[in-house]
Amino acid sequence: MPRILPDVLKNLFRKPATVKYPKQRRELPENFRGKPVIDKEKCISCGLCVKICPDNAITLDEKTKKPRIWMGLCMMCGRCAELCPRKVFTMSKEFELATYDKYKAISE
Amino acid sequence: MTFIVPIGPQHPALEEPAHFRIEVKGEEIVGVDLRLGYNHKGIEQALSDRSYAHGLYLSARVCGICNSTHSLAFTRAVESVAGIECPDRARYIRVIDAELERIHSHLLWAGIAAHEIGFTTLFMLFWRDRELSLDMRELLFGHRIYASGTYLGGARVDIKEKDIPQLIRTLAKLEKSVKHYIDVCTSDRTIIARCSGVGVLKKKDALELCAVGPTARASGVDFDIRRDDPYAAYDEISFDVIVERDGDVLAKVVVRLREILESIGIIRQAIDAMPKGAIRTKFPENVPENEAVGRTEAPRGELMYYVRSNGTNKPERVRIRTPSYANWPSAKPMLVGGTIAEIPIVVASIDPCYSCTDRVTIVDAETGKFRIMTKEELRRLRR
Amino acid sequence: MIEALGYVLAFFVFPGILFASAVGLLFAGIDRKLTGHMQHRIGPPIWQEFLDVGKLFGKEDITPAAANSFVFNCAPLLCFGAVTAVMLLLPINSSQPVLTSVADLIVIIYLLNIPAVCMMLAGYASGCPFGTTGSSRYVVQLFGYELAFITAALSVAAKVGWSLSLSSIVSYQAQNGWMVSQVALIPAAIAILIAAQGKLLRVPFDIPEAESEIVHGSLTEYSGPKLAILRIAYNIELFVVAAVVVNLFFGGPVPHTIGGVYIPGVVSFLIKCFGIVVLSTVIRNIAARLRIDQALKFFWTFPTLLAAISLFLVVVT
Repeated sequence: MPRILPDVLKNLFRKPATVKYPKQRRELPENFRGKPVIDKEKCISCGLCVKICPDNAITLDEKTKKPRIWMGLCMMCGRCAELCPRKVFTMSKEFELATYDKYKAISE
Repeated sequence: MTFIVPIGPQHPALEEPAHFRIEVKGEEIVGVDLRLGYNHKGIEQALSDRSYAHGLYLSARVCGICNSTHSLAFTRAVESVAGIECPDRARYIRVIDAELERIHSHLLWAGIAAHEIGFTTLFMLFWRDRELSLDMRELLFGHRIYASGTYLGGARVDIKEKDIPQLIRTLAKLEKSVKHYIDVCTSDRTIIARCSGVGVLKKKDALELCAVGPTARASGVDFDIRRDDPYAAYDEISFDVIVERDGDVLAKVVVRLREILESIGIIRQAIDAMPKGAIRTKFPENVPENEAVGRTEAPRGELMYYVRSNGTNKPERVRIRTPSYANWPSAKPMLVGGTIAEIPIVVASIDPCYSCTDRVTIVDAETGKFRIMTKEELRRLRR
Repeated sequence: MIEALGYVLAFFVFPGILFASAVGLLFAGIDRKLTGHMQHRIGPPIWQEFLDVGKLFGKEDITPAAANSFVFNCAPLLCFGAVTAVMLLLPINSSQPVLTSVADLIVIIYLLNIPAVCMMLAGYASGCPFGTTGSSRYVVQLFGYELAFITAALSVAAKVGWSLSLSSIVSYQAQNGWMVSQVALIPAAIAILIAAQGKLLRVPFDIPEAESEIVHGSLTEYSGPKLAILRIAYNIELFVVAAVVVNLFFGGPVPHTIGGVYIPGVVSFLIKCFGIVVLSTVIRNIAARLRIDQALKFFWTFPTLLAAISLFLVVVT
């Protein structure tokens, strides 16, 4: 008598384990590292974020000297959020970043 | 007369490209030729171009399944070079990170192995339970796969008190499921027919060919870095090293599933024994001239990082020896003498991680043969 | 003239191509949905097989250069034709099949072997090593299950006084109850269900088409409309083998009246076939795939012995 048979028959009557994404969505925990969101008011243009990003994804805008992240390179490691002296960056919970033109995927 | 069955570079049994040329007579295998290198990414060169802080993230991305272990080995090597000790609480957080990853990696492997022998129900059920361990990594560290729990000089995030009850509940669920799966795998007649006595690696061969990890432990070689060369907080936690005698695929399945139970025990001890305190110390920007080796027990075996510094903030040379690279030569004695039907399950039983393997070019007799082959193929194509 | 037209209608509509394809594809779709739920996930919708076949008909028709194109192109059509022809020989509506004069157990067993032989030839003619390996495994497996299948069928024929006509077997069961209710024939029922699993190439016996080992065995090089015809043929075979088993052991198309509701023969037949398909699905989900030598050893010991015991008991009593 195979030991997997009771599991298989029980599963027929249980609710499936599938989360019917995108109609249903899971609760994300608070540490979740999604797209970094920039609060430009707090920025003092020290340029630290440009140096510490492992992917060189952050650049400072020529005129305003405020940071801008290109999501095509960003790996959402969270270093910018951790090391910015004025806490300009926060890791949001947004992860659905698919787009038709990747050069337009910029966070600023 | 022998007939050559090509497995790969594209084949449903392989997750990533690799090329096996298997000589068969009817169904019996008489020779194996292995060609790797399809996944070469140039990571060692890239690590020498980046500072240590950036290199930590790159080392995690060598492999998707064993990423915490790669960054932990890199950290161990670099902290030895710089002479820095990380605080106690950080050591326990590193243990929890590494063991959660071992659980997820072994459950992933178990699902793949079940799929190779055609048992899709078990594949789906293993991967359903793997989601529980991934949810825990997301809860504690913020990402399901690239948790990045370690940091040069400590741990990246702290484990909060309010997350611990959910961790304990999930571990209890996982333990119950895995005990049931061990029962199923050791008693199901079709699994025993496919896995028992298949792909046997004798202890002598395992020692000669330097097999590591569960591949060697299933053949009776009693070696585990966590016990024999302890790192993080493993010297303060008690656990068993699972060793089996038979050396066949069923022994490897049992070793890996029992290691999941041990990991659950280790995490419970780590949660109880974790001291309070800081999680990071200062790590210098420029590291003085030195060289060191950092070893960890990845889910697949012994992972070794050699780091040499030259006084700047970038390493002079980083050399990675992954467990999958050490386990490939043992594929040959396991395959020769068996049948074609066994190729996927025997190759899968080493738990090969092709990304980990192909960071270096193979410069030995194999490549020599390959070069000659390429010229002949080009000549044929030119006609 | 009218009779010939009747035969043509029967071949194309009921119980021929249209009816058999619809029911076969529906059963296959329900099988996939049930498999999904057994594995604790949502399976594809019930209409998925129709959509798959429809998609494949729209693809480009390719014959590989290294293949023997005559055999490669004819094999799917022969499979399909043979399997659909069996539908005309089975009692589906009443105890009389459409072609009464040739409806014989031997003809049915021969016709059911033609798809297997065609797939073996197609595998060898494909020109790729996976096809050759798949075909050689198929040859070995054919020797395995066919013995058990034929012995079990013969024990039923022996019960009815050595008559090989399915209509007489169905009429006998209409009077004396289902064959499976006779104790002497229960081992044969078990044997034929196991042999059917081998005949339909489902786990634990889907060795000739083991996906993770030899891509798709004999079917590897097929794509587009030829693959669509093969899939329809495989799914009709699922229905046909279940139908043969139901006719031999489970009463066939007999109308019932349960609680004042009249259930016509065809409906009760379809319900019984569905039960056999569900049983096959459950077996498919609780086992791993065997190796070909293990499968052969298994077929020649367990089911063949059971069927032989049944034959012996029937002949002796």
